[in-house]
Amino acid sequence: MDAIEVNHLHRVYRAVIGVIRRSIKEVVAVGDISFAVGQGELFGLLGPNGAGKTTTVKMLTTLLIPTSGDARVGGFDVVKQANEVRKRIGFIFGGERGLYWRLSGNDNLRYFASLYGVDPDISKKRIPALLEMVGLTGRGNEKVGGYSRGMKQRLHVARTLLHDPDILFLDEPTIGLDPVGAREFRQVILDLQSQKKTILLTTHYMFEADMLCNRIAVINQGGVIALDTPSGLKKHVSDLSVVEVETFGAASEAIEKVRALSFVDSVSIEEHDQRQLLMVQTQRGAEAVPEVLAALDGQRLGRVVVREPTLEDAYVRLVGGNA
Amino acid sequence: MHTLVVNIRLFWQGTLLSYIALFHWLRPVTYTASKILMPLAQMMFFVLLGTYATSASNINFYVIGNAVQITAVSGIFGVTMSIGNDRSMGTLPYLFGTPANRFALFFGRAFMHVIDGALGVVIAFMWGVLLFNLDLSNTDLSALGLTILVTTFSTCALGLLMGCLSLITANVMFINNTVYFLLLIFSGANVALDKFPLWMQTISNLLPLTRGIAASRLLVAGSSLESISPLLWQELLIGVVYGIIGYFMFAAFETVAKRRGTLETV
Ligand SMILES: Nc1ncnc2c1ncn2[C@@H]1O[C@H](COP(=O)(O)OP(=O)(O)OP(=O)(O)O)[C@@H](O)[C@H]1O
Ligand SMILES: [Mg+2]
Repeated sequence: MDAIEVNHLHRVYRAVIGVIRRSIKEVVAVGDISFAVGQGELFGLLGPNGAGKTTTVKMLTTLLIPTSGDARVGGFDVVKQANEVRKRIGFIFGGERGLYWRLSGNDNLRYFASLYGVDPDISKKRIPALLEMVGLTGRGNEKVGGYSRGMKQRLHVARTLLHDPDILFLDEPTIGLDPVGAREFRQVILDLQSQKKTILLTTHYMFEADMLCNRIAVINQGGVIALDTPSGLKKHVSDLSVVEVETFGAASEAIEKVRALSFVDSVSIEEHDQRQLLMVQTQRGAEAVPEVLAALDGQRLGRVVVREPTLEDAYVRLVGGNA
Repeated sequence: MHTLVVNIRLFWQGTLLSYIALFHWLRPVTYTASKILMPLAQMMFFVLLGTYATSASNINFYVIGNAVQITAVSGIFGVTMSIGNDRSMGTLPYLFGTPANRFALFFGRAFMHVIDGALGVVIAFMWGVLLFNLDLSNTDLSALGLTILVTTFSTCALGLLMGCLSLITANVMFINNTVYFLLLIFSGANVALDKFPLWMQTISNLLPLTRGIAASRLLVAGSSLESISPLLWQELLIGVVYGIIGYFMFAAFETVAKRRGTLETV
């Protein structure tokens, strides 16, 4: 039995627009999504903003009723057997909300333990152990309102493990964490996987997905457009290589010129304070370099590197971006 | 059996924590001060105004009415906040994602406010004795205590219903204030009910507090528990009815929010 089975999930939101002349607009958040996650698998859900990731996670965590289609989590139907599902899952929607800020970390955990019906004898031992696991030892007595954002997110991890669920849904859990915190967080995720937990993870950090996930579904505009292992996804772009050019304040016309080159597949730009990193995807490999540099003539350039494609390159091609 | 234990525990935790949250919000000193001074302020205002407008011989009427009315502070504001807070904290998805028994969850939030509200009324009665010569020598004090508890319960039950409204409206404080002042008028704390036109009396009779205040006045005047017990039963019934309506609204809120996808939006 798969831990998570999703069959043609579909969800439409009705939004009322306007105050006086009210009209109803329908937004298809999830068009038609199907996939299955095996027991103990760490499964990634990637896709651009508004692709329907959170909506999918909400339906799988019993917080939203699908418009049509169905899904089973831990073998139970997410609508008809919602309570059975809830007993077996933990979930986090990224960010710092969703905790009682006026209460201490310990009190928050105690309350959620009682909501999950955890025996007090067990929660008395488990709460300190979880606080230690997420690096909040000694801070449990402080009010959550005084926690930093990262601390609140760590507390969310502890919260969601109180009842020792088999299946975890983590929607952008590392959003807004500092690099060290995010790294620790990824280690926590790996530890959880080694405890045989099934994890569904959404993230916008491609290296994170590459490093953590066994398989990845890329969704766009409410549908699955690719589903494979990270290396399998990279094969989509194995014909490509990437010319990385460091520029300092390159003019957008120059970048457009690069984009217009016939052998250039796409160009994405990473902004760093003073400099930009142009990532030019092309099938020509190193031979493309002279013409790319010619197109950038007159711009201040730094390092130029030709490298193998990454998951991010595969993603960019899949979602069709000249991002 | 096991389920029962789990639910009782949940009830208690909710009770305890909504109270701790209240304490963190109002520091213990602030809390104590407001607990002692707030009844005094309301009583001074209405007792002085009432006796000035009518006659000094009516003083007991205003003292008792306003002392019992104090329970609406916890019953309406306290209870509403402890439910409505979940929307502003963004905890609703996490709450509704648990398998917790919604009944224990819902009523646990209100319970501490019953104690808190009753305490407020007791303090208000003490002010009555100290400052306004309220004479309790003819009063069955345990019957008065029971009346206070029952009245507080029914007021909190109305508060639960308002708490549910606070989950679907953005304007909780406005609604709360309105209800508080409506209770102040309709409960008969400051106006004898028979001075009201019939339609107003009907509303009074459908609200909590009204019978509790009437019963308290009778008890202070020397009536026995037996003679006021019909009032108490009715007051209790009103509380149960509001509590049940509130609970079903809470359950309906959850269902509708999941269908419409409005768990996090107003
Ligand atoms: N409660 C809601 N009411 C109306 N429309 C909604 C609601 N929630 C989401 N949507 C719409 O559904 C679509 C999918 O949103 P969703 O939050 O699932 O995207 P996402 O993939 O999680 O995006 P992101 O990466 O930005 O988190 C969007 O067009 C969004 O505007
Ligand atoms: Mg999202």
